[in-house]
Amino acid sequence: MLDKLKKLLENIRQTQFVRSIFRMGGGFPRDVRQRMFVMLNNFFMHLHPVRIPKHAIKIKYTWCMGGLSFFIFLVLAVTGMLLMFYYRPTVEFAYGDVMDMNEQVPLGIMREIHRWGAHLMIITVWLHMFRVFMTGSYKPPREFNWVIGVILLLLTMLLSFTGYLLPWDQLAIWGISVGSNMAAASPFAGTEGPGASLLKIGSINFVHKGADARFVLIAGRFIGEAALVRFYVLHCVVLPFTIMIFMAVHFWRVRKDGGISKPL
Amino acid sequence: MEAIKNFINACAVPSRMFPVIVLLFFFVFPVNSFFEKYNKLFFLDRLWTKKGGIFLFSTLTMFLSIGMLDENFRHTVSKPDNLPIVGLIYASLFFLWVALSQARENDLRLEKNEKPKEWHDSQEKILVWPDLVSIELIAMLFALGFLFTWGILVDAPLEEPANLATSPNPAKAPWYFLALQEMLVYFDPALAGVIFPTLIVVGLMAIPYIDNNHKATGYYTFKERKLAITIFLFGWIILWLFMMVIGTILRGPNWNFYGPFEYWDPHKVEALTNINLSEYLYVIGLNMGLPGNIFIREAPGIFLISLYFIGGGFLLTKTVFKNLFKSLGPLRYSFFLVLLLFATSLPIKMTLRWLFNLKYIVSIPEFFFNI
Amino acid sequence: MSKEKVTRRVFVSWIFLGWTLFLACLGGLGTMLLRYLFPNVLFEPSQSFKAGYPENYAVGEVSLLWKSKHGVWIVRTAEGLYALSAVCTHLGCTPNWLSGEKKFKCPCHGSGFRFSGINFEGPAPRPLERFKILLGDDGQILVDKTKKFQQEKGEWNDPASFLAI
Repeated sequence: MLDKLKKLLENIRQTQFVRSIFRMGGGFPRDVRQRMFVMLNNFFMHLHPVRIPKHAIKIKYTWCMGGLSFFIFLVLAVTGMLLMFYYRPTVEFAYGDVMDMNEQVPLGIMREIHRWGAHLMIITVWLHMFRVFMTGSYKPPREFNWVIGVILLLLTMLLSFTGYLLPWDQLAIWGISVGSNMAAASPFAGTEGPGASLLKIGSINFVHKGADARFVLIAGRFIGEAALVRFYVLHCVVLPFTIMIFMAVHFWRVRKDGGISKPL
Repeated sequence: MEAIKNFINACAVPSRMFPVIVLLFFFVFPVNSFFEKYNKLFFLDRLWTKKGGIFLFSTLTMFLSIGMLDENFRHTVSKPDNLPIVGLIYASLFFLWVALSQARENDLRLEKNEKPKEWHDSQEKILVWPDLVSIELIAMLFALGFLFTWGILVDAPLEEPANLATSPNPAKAPWYFLALQEMLVYFDPALAGVIFPTLIVVGLMAIPYIDNNHKATGYYTFKERKLAITIFLFGWIILWLFMMVIGTILRGPNWNFYGPFEYWDPHKVEALTNINLSEYLYVIGLNMGLPGNIFIREAPGIFLISLYFIGGGFLLTKTVFKNLFKSLGPLRYSFFLVLLLFATSLPIKMTLRWLFNLKYIVSIPEFFFNI
Repeated sequence: MSKEKVTRRVFVSWIFLGWTLFLACLGGLGTMLLRYLFPNVLFEPSQSFKAGYPENYAVGEVSLLWKSKHGVWIVRTAEGLYALSAVCTHLGCTPNWLSGEKKFKCPCHGSGFRFSGINFEGPAPRPLERFKILLGDDGQILVDKTKKFQQEKGEWNDPASFLAI
């Protein structure tokens, strides 16, 4: 019986269809050669090298924080897309839609997972940075990858910021108020920033309430519908797209700069 | 019990707690032989042994669990949005210990001219399939399980519907922005909201280009990178985590300060009349009105700021950073110095506020320029 | 076919012109893209409102009537009325009027303002703004929020910032 099953599996494995999907033929790798080929012949595994130094799998060394950050990002992407099905970014509907997400949808913990996942990702990203610093892994030739890492950290924080504005509750609207007023305080670019009043010809101000950094952010002089749409697009399209590009470069540079840092 | 609580409340006031924590920091992370001597004397290096770790953890857990008996403390800490910061306090302490206990181990090896622990491991190569991918799978499943449990146990918070007419009191950003929000108390929005965050990002990016000590890659060590690690940890622990904890747990209604066991009374009155330097000098000191000319009015402040950046920079270069200047070279060193002076300006301004109620050193509201 | 000889000088100047044009176009496109972020038409509510009759306001009191709808406090002193903006000059939160302590206190970062709107505590860099206030033809108070008066610029002396009674 078992032999027959094995034979059947082997036959399925040898079909044109399966062989066309898995470049290896889909068998479980048994010897060293096959184990190496698994990494080389699979697009997703291809992120990794084939062989790594032994300290790279020690949790005590890596803390697993970089990998977890990426994984949590994927979880956030999936749960985020699911939430988008039930969320309308308008002042009228946003709050109610978010409130309904727990009740009117099966598996009503998507928002919880998205929210707590975001908090968790911030923690893992910070700790990843801490680990990279403490092992001196930013030193040549990995300097630029550290710079990309800082950009990823910034993007993570911006994603969190734009994310908590979307439920359009008190936290959201006062977060926008404070955040956009900080933009208004930016030097030269904001109406309330140092130097902005110097940018004028005669009595015409170049930087005024209808044209400054705050105006770009909230698409108006007052917080309302337009601001919500703007942050929605930033949170769901612009920032995820940007962070994915930087992540790709980050991972690619890890490989190109010699893999995980190791003592010389 | 009440007496102890009141004592802790009184100790937790930032103007008292902050200097103590900063002082303690330099003894725990000894940057030179002077601090090292006392570090050894008070057994602070033992913190990074197994026993030290158990001590740190049981102290924190004991404080938190006894604190949870107090209604006010429980109220703040157990808010759903504040749970992550409790987790972060544990996680950052745990990983600090993980990093420094390995650093201690490696430092002992290096003293005996041995290779660091990681060096021996790194000599052996292993296959990613199955050794690494299996670990990754376990980590992913663990994280997913953790998130689902958290999601089922704790509902995601949703506040009242948006209403521009009433600000919540206190109006707090989520915990991860509270170090920035805390800065806003001491600095003008242009500085605290735009310039300092930019400098934090730029400063972080500049680390690999400023630190030209190219030894000590790929293993945990403290002794080989004392200055780099101390500066980074000062930023991470004191200026980021500590400020965040103050902002999350110890700031209450009207952004007043409340002890951890103090009731958040919205009517607590704090006499906080902040005075600009120019008012101190002209109105209180010289007993005359403020000069009409902005530049005469703000000249003392501008002088002090330039003294801090130029004079202070010179002084540091001639004294404590004499060797660093040589090893970094002028360009690297000037970047380092400017970033460092900006970073230390935060605790300095905080101290000035606490001691003298000083509002702004330079205050030109006409041009929205305040320091 | 005649082959014209292109000198080095001519070649370089053509290259230079080409690059200049290319960069100019790129700059123009960038500017237009940036400009795209600034809408021409705003769908925002009207910025002026009628605030009833001056007799409705008691001397020495801060009226909270228009705070939630229009973000304005109307303050009545012995001399007359002024309209204070209920937006903190620090980062735009809405302060609360604490009648017991006779001050406006911002919950976000703890700024405090006196009855007059002058800042005296916390991080607020300047006093609250005042809005244009006048008496309409029907005897009702009219508040126009598009015109604001800032104390630190000496604008509170402007007669339009104060309704004398």
